[in-house]
Amino acid sequence: MIHRRIATAIAVAGVSALALVGCSSGGADEAAEGGGTSVEGAPAWCGPEEAVVGLLDGFGGNSWRLVTTAAGQAEVEKCPSVVEYLYADGQGDTQKSISDIQGMVASGADAIVVFPDAGEAMLPALRSAYEAGVVTVPYRVDPGGEDGVDYDIWVGADFVADGVAWGEWIEQNFPDGAKILFLSGPAGNSQGLDEREGFESVLTDPKYEFIGEQPYEVTNWDPALTQQVLTAAIAKYDQIDVIVSDFGPSLVGALPEFEKSGRSIPALATSDGNVLACFWQEKSPDNPDFLLTTVATGNDNVRLAVQHAVARATGGEIPSETIFEAPQFEDSVDGDPSEVECRDDLPGDIYLSAEMSADEQAALLE
Amino acid sequence: MTDDSTPQRLTSARLGVSKGLLTMAVSTVVLVILGFALAPSSVSQGAVLGMLPFASVLAIVGLGQMLVVQQGGIDLSVPGAVSLAVVLSTHIPNQDDSMLVPAILAVYAWAIGAGLLNGFMVGRLGLNPIIATLGTNALLFGAVLGISGGIPRTTTRLLSSIAGGRTAGIPNALLIALVVLVLVTILVKRTVAGRRFEAVGASPAAARATGLRYRTHRGAAYVWAQLLFATAGIMLAGITNQPTAFQGNTYLLTSVAVVVLGGTSLLGGRGYPVATFVAALFLSQLDQFVLALGVPFAVRTLVQAAALAIGVAIYTVDWAALRRRLAARPDASAPAAP
Repeated sequence: MIHRRIATAIAVAGVSALALVGCSSGGADEAAEGGGTSVEGAPAWCGPEEAVVGLLDGFGGNSWRLVTTAAGQAEVEKCPSVVEYLYADGQGDTQKSISDIQGMVASGADAIVVFPDAGEAMLPALRSAYEAGVVTVPYRVDPGGEDGVDYDIWVGADFVADGVAWGEWIEQNFPDGAKILFLSGPAGNSQGLDEREGFESVLTDPKYEFIGEQPYEVTNWDPALTQQVLTAAIAKYDQIDVIVSDFGPSLVGALPEFEKSGRSIPALATSDGNVLACFWQEKSPDNPDFLLTTVATGNDNVRLAVQHAVARATGGEIPSETIFEAPQFEDSVDGDPSEVECRDDLPGDIYLSAEMSADEQAALLE
Repeated sequence: MTDDSTPQRLTSARLGVSKGLLTMAVSTVVLVILGFALAPSSVSQGAVLGMLPFASVLAIVGLGQMLVVQQGGIDLSVPGAVSLAVVLSTHIPNQDDSMLVPAILAVYAWAIGAGLLNGFMVGRLGLNPIIATLGTNALLFGAVLGISGGIPRTTTRLLSSIAGGRTAGIPNALLIALVVLVLVTILVKRTVAGRRFEAVGASPAAARATGLRYRTHRGAAYVWAQLLFATAGIMLAGITNQPTAFQGNTYLLTSVAVVVLGGTSLLGGRGYPVATFVAALFLSQLDQFVLALGVPFAVRTLVQAAALAIGVAIYTVDWAALRRRLAARPDASAPAAP
């Protein structure tokens, strides 16, 4: 009796799984046939076919991710053909991130946009979603694999371009050379290596000296560790002209160490954040060497990824851009493209470089 | 045989310098000397002043852990407790100084709640402390995510000036840690309740036989510990300015490490607050030293692990017995006469 019941249950589950896979692969096939038609009043990348779109985060637990997720959702909402929007947060757990993808495929998503924090560990799950016929678009972190084989397309961020932008700024403001300290995240992370490649390609002259641990000081992007690393560096090097960091806001706790040692905060080339901008406005009068330039921190990377996913799933026009290039944002020296902007009436954890308005971001954090 | 005329040296429980304190003090001095010789920047004023606030946080967490370890327990809810304190003390005020006091009250209310829960499970229900406190840790992280969505806020100016500032050139964090150290030492070593507390840790059975409320003491240790973790978390929020929601994660291993390095036995018994404090200074200075050496990240991690292993070996390996065995070996291997 029990055996028969279990057998029936398994059969039902199997049939429904097949049905779901059938649905989703059908959607993707149609998407592949369509191309270039878009819904009136909506962006070109929004096609006429209905689709369910999912956004998956490997780790949703900081304000940057919160703004990014909201930006992704706002981008999805621009397209009326998307009938349902799903979201899952892997909470930094690779196993959960993988099962989130499987769950979303099983629940009938036509397209998924994935932040593969765990890198290559996510590749098998991405591939199986792609093979099940779901439009699969990983973004920002490189999961390895190939476009069109393991997933539809990887919409990465061009961290080399960030490095080049910093390098050019340093060259312009320190024509006589400089001692440069570079801080990045965990040991071996590709973002730091790409950025390094970027500014090294500009700063080829030996008058630019890279100090500290090579290729970068490991901070794990943890403010406490950053503070310890920077304290050690300040004690060790009498002269630090420029600090390059790919996570500017994490330096706010650490930079006052310069003042405590009776030195001016040096020039800083980094990514933006409201707390950093307000910090600069407060400190720059007393710290003559504290110049600041930032690149946009890349919350809008997700928008391009969403456009690619929705275009493929709804039969819209596929964007020609395939890699997100963070625009330069602030420059305290010449105000181009923008002066350092601080909104001290709003929380520190917002990003004025993002497309989403400052007030909307602040509302998210409430 | 033994010379009875030589008076046996008496060691006082109150005035004697413990083995742990001696070891840690010597190690720290050696580390400082090594610093002057190999990496002078690690002992420069700036580096030391930068290290002290973090060492102070670690010391307070370590003192909390020590109280639990004294009772033969262990509190693995450190990461959740510290992270929750960081999140509450930044999230509730949301950069508004006037909300700081309510936030701190909320932090301590949570700490007492978590401590009572741990104390009840371990002291009353007799659950294994590893399992019980890991469960509490998960609950606390649930609260971290529930309250903040995993998103901490920037610290209020008032808190960062208190915890991150200096008075007469001395980091306030260090002063707070010293006050905590004095309080813990006096309460445990100089009050009746404290002496009972330590007696219960040394031998629950004997304490029970003498009529002490041993279960209450065992459970209370978890409440004291949580209060200290909360204090450390509030300070950490002030020191880092822009903390993450998981800032407590690094304190799980290190909190136990400083207790063990300080010479408190994991089996319970006497606690060594001053030695624990010095061990926290030692571990933090070791970090600073290896950073200043400029060795790769991998080597840094290895050096820290080695220091820990050596430190633990000093107390747990019976060196006298080992020496005797090594000395006896040649005789044992000699062929016996027929």
